[in-house]
Amino acid sequence: MAGGGFDAPESGGGLHKQKKYKKGKKIGVRIDMTPMVDVIMLLLTFFILTTTLNTPQIMQINLPKGDETDKIKVDMGDVLYIRVAETGNVYFSKGQSDGSEAPPEKVSFNDMKARIEGFYASSPNLIILLKFDRKMKYNLMVDILDEINKAAITKRYSFMKMEDPDKEIVKNAGG
Amino acid sequence: MKKARSIKKPGVNIDMTPLVDVIMLLLTFFMLVATFKAESTEAIEIKLPESVVTDTTKLPEKDIMTLTLTKSGDVFIDVDNYKVREKVFGDAFGVGLFHPDSTSKSEYENTGGMVGGKPFKRKVTLLNRTQMEKTMSDLRLALKNETAGKSDFRIVIKGDTQSDYGVVEDLMDIFKATRNTRFALVTDVKSDKPK
Repeated sequence: MAGGGFDAPESGGGLHKQKKYKKGKKIGVRIDMTPMVDVIMLLLTFFILTTTLNTPQIMQINLPKGDETDKIKVDMGDVLYIRVAETGNVYFSKGQSDGSEAPPEKVSFNDMKARIEGFYASSPNLIILLKFDRKMKYNLMVDILDEINKAAITKRYSFMKMEDPDKEIVKNAGG
Repeated sequence: MKKARSIKKPGVNIDMTPLVDVIMLLLTFFMLVATFKAESTEAIEIKLPESVVTDTTKLPEKDIMTLTLTKSGDVFIDVDNYKVREKVFGDAFGVGLFHPDSTSKSEYENTGGMVGGKPFKRKVTLLNRTQMEKTMSDLRLALKNETAGKSDFRIVIKGDTQSDYGVVEDLMDIFKATRNTRFALVTDVKSDKPK
């Protein structure tokens, strides 16, 4: 560097050596972290409070694409009616091949899944027709769909309106 | 000599660096995980039903048309795109209200602007059945215009556990009429089985 191109502008007596500041000589500089920690804590609290960790899941439902007019013929023997009364009682009744249907049976929630699987074992083309009362709670609808989804079957179910004859059936079976 | 000196110091200096490290880590975690409560869900409080659905379908992140069913039988139709909202409802935070039961009035109208017992601040457009059908197609159309036909709304139903099934049935009728054959029910994950 001695024969370097140009000299650094040396300010002759400019350096005052900073005699006054003894601290400057210290090797490590101590930064007070308290304000930073405060701010970070604040941010952390904010994020914890605004985060929703339970990401909801969805239950996909597909409605039939066609119009109401094009009806699909199904064998009544494959049909399982699930009727739910206003009270929340669930009734299963299996269709018979001759077009009639078996008398409704009240099914408790716990063995719903096993029953559906049982019906599926006897008729693999099982179609579940859901007839829910309009006054029934939405919670129960999700629960029943959940039971059907849990059952180890090929899921084929369809929503139907609960007509007066259905209400009559349910009523006669105990409401 | 050194030891003696440090003891003599009046204040005890705690090294905060590890603490800051841990907090920073936590902060980063929460920032990355954070999905903010959407405007709509904050305003309308509902209790979602729980399910143990086996397919691992999660709620899509955007382009959702949310139909919120409240306890009192009202349906709020909302989308997550504010431009679309502005176009259809005339307000960036507008929301549609449909009361399927024509024999009664919605909670919003009865209480003069309350939803779930709390004042509702967003602009509400009241819809009847035909307007509801029109709004649904308007919303889809608006989004298609907005994104040049690239995206489409997914319809999800967020129902309160205590709302009536009849409302869902009416909505399914509307879906059929408007040729929306796919929709989804939003549920919470069931943690354990009490039954």
